[in-house]
Amino acid sequence: MIDRRNFLTTVAIGSAAAAALAACGAPAASQTGSAANPVTINYTWWGNDDRAERTRKAIALFEAKNPDIKVNGNFTDFAGYWQKRATEAAGGGLPDVMQWDLSYLRDYGQRNQLLDLSTVKINTDAFDKSLLPSGQIKGKTYGIPTSTNAFAVYYDPAKLASLGIAEPDGTWNYKEFNAFLAEVGAKGNGALFGGTDYTSVWWMFNVWLRQNNIEAFTEDGKLGFTKDDLKKWWNTTADLRGTPAIISEERFTQLAPKSPFGSNVTGSEVTWDNFMASYLGDSGAKELKLVPVPSDDPDNLGLFLKPSMLMVASAKTKNKDAAARFIEFMVNDPEVGQIFKTSRGVPASKTQRDGTTFEGTDKLVVDYEKSIEKYLKDAPEPPIVGFGTLEASFKRISSDLNYGKLSVDGATDAWFKEAEDLIKQNA
Amino acid sequence: MTQSPTLSRRSTSPSAPAPRKSKRSGADARAGYTFLLPWLLGFIALTVGPMISSLYLSFTNYNLFEPPKWIGLDNYITLFQDERFLQSVGVTLSYVVFGTPLKLAAALAIAMLLNSKRRGQGFYRSAFYAPSLIGASVSIAIVWKAMFGDAGPVDQGLSFFGINLGGWVGNPTMTMPMMILLTVWQFGAPMVIFLAGLKQIPADLYEAASMDGAGPVRKFLNITWPMLSPVVFFNLLMETIHAFQIFASAYIISNGEGGPAGSTLFYTLYLYLRGFSDFRMGYASAMAWLLLIVVGIITMIFFKTSKSWVHYSGDSK
Repeated sequence: MIDRRNFLTTVAIGSAAAAALAACGAPAASQTGSAANPVTINYTWWGNDDRAERTRKAIALFEAKNPDIKVNGNFTDFAGYWQKRATEAAGGGLPDVMQWDLSYLRDYGQRNQLLDLSTVKINTDAFDKSLLPSGQIKGKTYGIPTSTNAFAVYYDPAKLASLGIAEPDGTWNYKEFNAFLAEVGAKGNGALFGGTDYTSVWWMFNVWLRQNNIEAFTEDGKLGFTKDDLKKWWNTTADLRGTPAIISEERFTQLAPKSPFGSNVTGSEVTWDNFMASYLGDSGAKELKLVPVPSDDPDNLGLFLKPSMLMVASAKTKNKDAAARFIEFMVNDPEVGQIFKTSRGVPASKTQRDGTTFEGTDKLVVDYEKSIEKYLKDAPEPPIVGFGTLEASFKRISSDLNYGKLSVDGATDAWFKEAEDLIKQNA
Repeated sequence: MTQSPTLSRRSTSPSAPAPRKSKRSGADARAGYTFLLPWLLGFIALTVGPMISSLYLSFTNYNLFEPPKWIGLDNYITLFQDERFLQSVGVTLSYVVFGTPLKLAAALAIAMLLNSKRRGQGFYRSAFYAPSLIGASVSIAIVWKAMFGDAGPVDQGLSFFGINLGGWVGNPTMTMPMMILLTVWQFGAPMVIFLAGLKQIPADLYEAASMDGAGPVRKFLNITWPMLSPVVFFNLLMETIHAFQIFASAYIISNGEGGPAGSTLFYTLYLYLRGFSDFRMGYASAMAWLLLIVVGIITMIFFKTSKSWVHYSGDSK
């Protein structure tokens, strides 16, 4: 019988059994570095399997050339990457060398988490002088760009041909681009959507702002555009939402973290040109092509070269010299260029670029960046503190818009509220 | 009788002087605390310490990198103007209110099935417990996502019966049922406790009831339920607290974003996003303390109401 005294025993026995069984499922502790003679540095990056394989090769090459240094590699996907870095930074345990994104350079650089790379020996002679400032904040160099990327529209020529749609030449305004998406969606007959909602991508919004001669952020770290600008932008695809021109948000969510274009469900995609390698790998397509983004002003495409990623070191690294040598190797060595081709973007260092042979689709990426050269404007400065959060909420709110949970006006208000709150918070 | 049973058992003679007794009990306490020490140190260093510092942080603006800035009650006030916060409260409450009773019902039903004497009971018990063993792991959340995705087994199975819901993962109205199914499936822990409770109900009560012509429903309502009520109460309490803390499966199924359209934005997930994605650890700490307080209040309400429906044998009621 269960009375007050043996009730606890009953429960305790049951719980103990459950706990003992549950304990069997606990994960094993992660391994730490080797105790061998060479110094070990930790390197972490985000990316897919393709990048992991290439990075593994680059690390092996580095270790062969530098027998006194061992590199411990580790990678995750983009979203999880930043949560992990935040946890490490809070505990003072950031990896020695990290692949970095412009969006988060201020968050960590201004808060003294990153090493000022001008204090160590890294040769940047081979870099375009207009590009280096994008890794610098207030006179300190926190990141060295590995490569550049630019915005572009991808399409799969084979898929368009099978639907009987002419290949675009990239001279289009938004109306024509929307018509293209609608045509692919209509002829795709449920199996192929036109594309994703390109207004949900922050950087495409940024391109559009530049086409209208608006800077996204003012110099004192405030928003440079108004609610009306954002409303106008999100209304650009208002007629396409819910039609086959744009993939439904349900499907989009199901496919994540894979992209719809890489999964062969859309006929086009607006994004960075260095996604070529991963799209080819994911989709298995024979060939993908790149054309410029739409613009209502044919002389101003709003395009710019952005450092697709930067190499940074932790301010607390105990192996500054080894970290610097690894960074220098990753950004300058021609053989590293041969390994990555354009999968990180077009190599930023001339030494590395000239030492890399670009063929096939890699050549398409390089040629694309050459073809838009005359339209290019200066690279953007590192965006404001907390930009990564704003970029993520831009995507999230756009998704609510596509689910029909928010109107364009409601979405605009929601984003501005979060943005203003964040800017106030970090002021 | 002034002596406690323990002391009277240990005392060599009833006339032993009073000071000796307290000396002995002091030695007992010392030994007790010595044995408790390893756990106590861990508890203070790893639980109490961080809790106190998080209480402090909840009154500050803290971004993980720079020293916290005192802002008083601002975090707590901002919380109630934050639409995402209110959304996360709604999501979590509906999960607790619908998920917990369903899970307990499943656990009790299976425990009653397993309580009968049949061949191979050991096997069945292990088999039914297995989902809970692996249920909290990352891999199961990934499998769950695949099962409920587009053209996954669930979608295909339902299509066979003419129900076309499409994938559940991307559909904001179907993610909550999916999450609740995941927790119901992990009924193992409460089931084991129910089983232990059922075993303690004397068989003669059922025999007597059978003699009086009571059917299975009658037996359940008049014998099993009241006799088991302390265990039901314990399970209800534990599972409710547990449900409030759901994190890992929601994090994995929504890629750490709480989507689609915020439908899996559970309280702890939003807390985590605020702390580690947005670097607002003060805000996250305030959320954590609010959760602690609310769970504490709910527990208190459970205890208050338990007097009317939980029966311990030997009590007058």
